[in-house]
Amino acid sequence: MLALGLALLLTSTALPPRDAHAAPSVLEAHVALETGAAECLPVDARGEPYPICFDPGDGLVLGTGGRLRDGEGAPSLRAGVHIRTGRTSRSKGTPWFNSHRLLGLEAWGGEQRGLTFTVYDGTLRRHLEEGFILVPTARPLRIPFPFDVTLAPRVGHLERRVWEGPGWTLETVRAGLLLDPVRSETGRVWLGVGPVASHTLRRSPDGAEHTVSPFTTLMLDTGVESEDGLWALRASGLAGWSLGFENGTFFRARAEAGLERVLLAVEDQPVVLQLSGAYTHRDAGLSRRSEWTAGAGLAVRAFSARW
Amino acid sequence: MLVPAVALGCALLLAQTGGEADLGPRVGDVLPRLEVEPAGPPVIQPPASPLPVQHWQAPTVCLTLPPTKAVPSGKWRAQCDAGSRRCLVAPQHELDSEGVETERPLERVTYCADEGYVSESALMKTYRLEPAVADAPPGWYRDERGRVMQFNFDLNRRLWLGGAWAPLWREGQTEGRMRADFGISVEVPGEGRRLHRLRFLETELYLGEPGFDATAMRYDFSVERNEPLFRVTTFFGEPRRHDIHINLGLWMEVLRAEELERDGTEAGFLTWGAVHATLDLWHSKDLVSYVRVRAGPSVERDYKNGFSTLVPGAALEGDLTLDRDGFHHLRLGVEAEKVLLAPSVEGRPLRPERLRVSAGYELILLAINDQPLSLVVDGRGAWRSDLANVPARWEWSAAAGLRFSLWAPARRSAPMAPAARE
Repeated sequence: MLALGLALLLTSTALPPRDAHAAPSVLEAHVALETGAAECLPVDARGEPYPICFDPGDGLVLGTGGRLRDGEGAPSLRAGVHIRTGRTSRSKGTPWFNSHRLLGLEAWGGEQRGLTFTVYDGTLRRHLEEGFILVPTARPLRIPFPFDVTLAPRVGHLERRVWEGPGWTLETVRAGLLLDPVRSETGRVWLGVGPVASHTLRRSPDGAEHTVSPFTTLMLDTGVESEDGLWALRASGLAGWSLGFENGTFFRARAEAGLERVLLAVEDQPVVLQLSGAYTHRDAGLSRRSEWTAGAGLAVRAFSARW
Repeated sequence: MLVPAVALGCALLLAQTGGEADLGPRVGDVLPRLEVEPAGPPVIQPPASPLPVQHWQAPTVCLTLPPTKAVPSGKWRAQCDAGSRRCLVAPQHELDSEGVETERPLERVTYCADEGYVSESALMKTYRLEPAVADAPPGWYRDERGRVMQFNFDLNRRLWLGGAWAPLWREGQTEGRMRADFGISVEVPGEGRRLHRLRFLETELYLGEPGFDATAMRYDFSVERNEPLFRVTTFFGEPRRHDIHINLGLWMEVLRAEELERDGTEAGFLTWGAVHATLDLWHSKDLVSYVRVRAGPSVERDYKNGFSTLVPGAALEGDLTLDRDGFHHLRLGVEAEKVLLAPSVEGRPLRPERLRVSAGYELILLAINDQPLSLVVDGRGAWRSDLANVPARWEWSAAAGLRFSLWAPARRSAPMAPAARE
């Protein structure tokens, strides 16, 4: 209901149709090729176009729902800014498919109140039709390398669990170098696997604990979206060793999956059903717990319609 | 009957004369066509070995030639020389391993004018058509299949991620440790002969013997001044003028944090800012490589002991790119600092000192999708008396590891591939 209310609120801020003469971006060009502008913009009885295609990687997201952890349910709230861009590299002349998620907030109530907040989380994939390794011999040798390379940075991920007492967990920075064997020519499908380096600070009344993972963790990030953007499935995983400055080495793992389905659009702003599930092994909260969570909710993803 | 006949004869005569005058230009139009009309279809010569290479940014025409087994579409890029009546032709699409064209158009080629807009295109088809490799921009190489790859890298413009094994030796004991490093470097040529260098988030993180060294931003510039800073005239014998060229520059850093632990003592220093004057003892013609001295003050916070200090320092350092293609890099440095205005701390002198020496070498091993992967080896030594209850002594480290660089475009001085081969 809150999501619907928010959608109605946003009706007054609905974007006008874009200038038909505006230059399309690389990604938009792909979208236009794939789905066709006419298919995404049918015309109503009054002759006015309305969008029926959406970009799950774009928009201002605001949602609410429920979350289940260790058998206990709680209301939850989610917000964030998603920006998906495509550009052609000036230095290499090849396309990049970029997904940026800014100021991501998830808060939940109940007895186990808490929140997570991420300043920036993104993936930047450079696509080559025919990847290769160059061996710099006198006459350069080209060895096939059938992967796109993806840079996956995350900056400033804060976790605060009120029920655990004073303290917080801050992942200051995480940087992954992923290889993508799918090498999709669009931003709608991706599969990245590769090593990750990160630094995490856990601050509790007992003091600060620094842990780092110097590319000793493997990360998986994958997703697929329907051409019209009504369906989106995303999964990610992380497993590997972290080294504590004081507490030695420990193994940790995380896995999460999410499904999104656009249910309806109010004034061209889609209302999305979100389902998610996650498992964390020795990495949740200050005490590095293992836990399951599941969630379901509705969200408005404003400004994500494809005009 | 006679009158009409004479009139008709005169009319025909006049028409013939006038007609010739009118036809003159038409014939002129037609004649060249007759001249260029080939006796048969254009013939592409057998490929030479090695294939010649088209010239970057030379005028190029997109010609449609009769289909061949290798190029069924008949689409070619042609660079022609009217004097020698010769064209270098390259397929407009990449070839597969069998030498047959694919659907992928050539990457990183210059504009190709459609033959419909080029009046000489028909004439060109009568020239000797020699297969060639299409042109490629400076710093890029194109193989016989038309695939382009970068062979020249600017490691002073990149974002890097790396890891290394970096053991530490101290008083005969060895501590195993790992190092992860990250940074962004940018170089921007300025007005005149000036080169600005910027580094962001340059970070080294040590594991094993924990510690890190991170700098939010560093900036410096090198300059080659046309005017001498001052001149000296001597009067021993003939008066002689000596121009003294001194290339003074600036070096500064903002927010550098260093944290380390030795013998159970934790130390942490935050440099709010440092400003040094630099003097290039030598720099390369393009200003990219240099050997210089720099000196100046910095303001530092000892956040473990809770006070701020003034730290004057001086350094002799060099950063040399040793080859044309940017594969070999040598970095050297000697740096001394003295900590002033610090309150007394038990177990350390009132004015502690630091001395650091370093030498490093970076070599590009290979490039993955045009992104270089390099081997980094370095050796470092440090002597410092600013750690409470830790005796001042030398400690040495050696590191060997790999670094993956993003961005790394071709150097501004990158040559063309044929020139590089020569």
